[in-house]
Amino acid sequence: MTDRTGTGTGRPAITATSAAVLLLLLAMALLGPLLAPHSPTSPVGVPYEAPGGTAPLGTDHLGRDVLSRVLSGGLPMLATSLAAAVLGSLIGVTAGLWAALAGARRAWAEGVVLRPLDAVAALPPLFVLLLALTALPGRAGVIAAVAVAGAPLSARVVRAAAAQAVSRGHVEAAVARGESTAWLLGRELLPLVAGPAAADLGLRFVGAIYLVTAAGFLGLGVGQTDWGLLIAEALPGAALQPTALAVPVLLVAALGVCVNLLADDVLRRWRTVAA
Amino acid sequence: MTRRDMAHRAIRLLAGRLAVTGGLLLLLSVVVFAGTDLLPGDPATARLGGLGPAEVAEARARLGLDRPLAERYGEWVTGLLRGDLGTSAEGRPVGELLSERLGNSLLLAGLTLAVLVPGSLLLGVAAGLRQGRAVDRAVTTGMLLLAAVPEFVVAGGLVLLFAVTLGWLPAVSLVPAGASPLSVPEVLVLPVLSLLLLGLAYATRLIRAATAAAARAPHVEFMRINGLPPRTVLREGVLPAVLPVALQVWLTTGAGLIGGAVLVERVFGYPGIGDVLIRAVQSGDLPVVQALAMLLGGVMLLALFAADLSTRALTPVLRTAGR
Repeated sequence: MTDRTGTGTGRPAITATSAAVLLLLLAMALLGPLLAPHSPTSPVGVPYEAPGGTAPLGTDHLGRDVLSRVLSGGLPMLATSLAAAVLGSLIGVTAGLWAALAGARRAWAEGVVLRPLDAVAALPPLFVLLLALTALPGRAGVIAAVAVAGAPLSARVVRAAAAQAVSRGHVEAAVARGESTAWLLGRELLPLVAGPAAADLGLRFVGAIYLVTAAGFLGLGVGQTDWGLLIAEALPGAALQPTALAVPVLLVAALGVCVNLLADDVLRRWRTVAA
Repeated sequence: MTRRDMAHRAIRLLAGRLAVTGGLLLLLSVVVFAGTDLLPGDPATARLGGLGPAEVAEARARLGLDRPLAERYGEWVTGLLRGDLGTSAEGRPVGELLSERLGNSLLLAGLTLAVLVPGSLLLGVAAGLRQGRAVDRAVTTGMLLLAAVPEFVVAGGLVLLFAVTLGWLPAVSLVPAGASPLSVPEVLVLPVLSLLLLGLAYATRLIRAATAAAARAPHVEFMRINGLPPRTVLREGVLPAVLPVALQVWLTTGAGLIGGAVLVERVFGYPGIGDVLIRAVQSGDLPVVQALAMLLGGVMLLALFAADLSTRALTPVLRTAGR
């Protein structure tokens, strides 16, 4: 992460391409439910039908149209990922700013906020997801898990960025004026760490997509047509109907790669500005 | 500084780190136990839809959920300390549920690590020494793409390529009941390959960055300008700086592999702990999930502790430093 060397030529082209592919995927997710030729949940033919005819991408193990299922699965997945990433980022930014502000005066206060987050960070995100889904199945569990798994990392990034800002004159003046904590965090500190916080939100979105598709893959996801669920359902019949597996695999891979490259770019840009 | 002083410092350091790790373990147990309890709904009500209040109360009493949180937590933690992982919602001891599968999962992680360690070192050092050149670009881009794709998607791609298209390897890990996966080695190839790609993506990038930084260091440049052969520069100048980082990366990746294996095991139907865990999640068997989360979180914290110590042991400046 600290290495700034890999910046070769061709960066803008890569960024533009991934932005274009991401836009395409977003458009597909938004318009997909309208464009789907069949119902995503009721059979249109015999199971494992090869592509062609009524089902352009073939049918799945229950004879449902793969194309319609793919088209209607994107929106709930992306919406859940975004909501969860924003929530996790909000918790992380609040905790990070508060730790920086309180820690500047009382060192132990910082530990009170950050140590429990460290303990959560020891748990692989997937396990946070599994724990949350055991106790609270469904979309709420997924969002809670993504938020809790991402918040510790956000808090670290934001705290590091805010550590120097708390000793700036205008912050100390506001503290001396007796401004409320909410004012200090939102009006005095937040604008100074907006860059890293935005870059960090991108990374949280990357993590959210991973966890949301993983929940779908485990059959614990947010809908009937999650792309992760499509992969899980297509695996047993992969020899009979490889298209049903290949399409969601390629879509999730493309989504992951594009979001990652863009988040990477935002991070790099912010670093270049800061340096 | 005398030898005695150094020994004292080392002991104090060790004790300090151990205390921190212990404290984090305790916090982790609170988070794992109380955190899941704080979520709205509990295993009894979430899965028993359509039952009357009397039945729900009965189920809660049977699972012990009607007692206060602190009491249940205390019992759970003291049980963990004695090596008792608790009882599943179905009434079987969690330890027994896991013991038959843990070996298979460790086998997968061990085999992966055995290839990952030399592989990531080779790729990372090769790329780091040729910074900005074609090899470096290829490795960096490859690893970036790989890290961006969820491991179950990578595994799905491998199934499409090696099992469906080429037909070389089985798509499903069929292991006869009671037998070790080693008796059917071909079922191990794709799961290990999936995990290897997952670990490589992470480990290679960090080792490459450490190598690139070491190759730019003044002492390495000094050796190079003095005309020492590249092999000697690599052995005496670069590798000593890279190895502590690499060791840390391998330890954390290894601990992470046990958790990362869950989804990969699912793809291939491999008989490891992933299967037990996912069935527990689906049926709302909280004790099983809590025990496993605690075990794996604990392994991760211990790996971080070991990584911290080994970094200090391998770095002369830190070895003699105060803290």
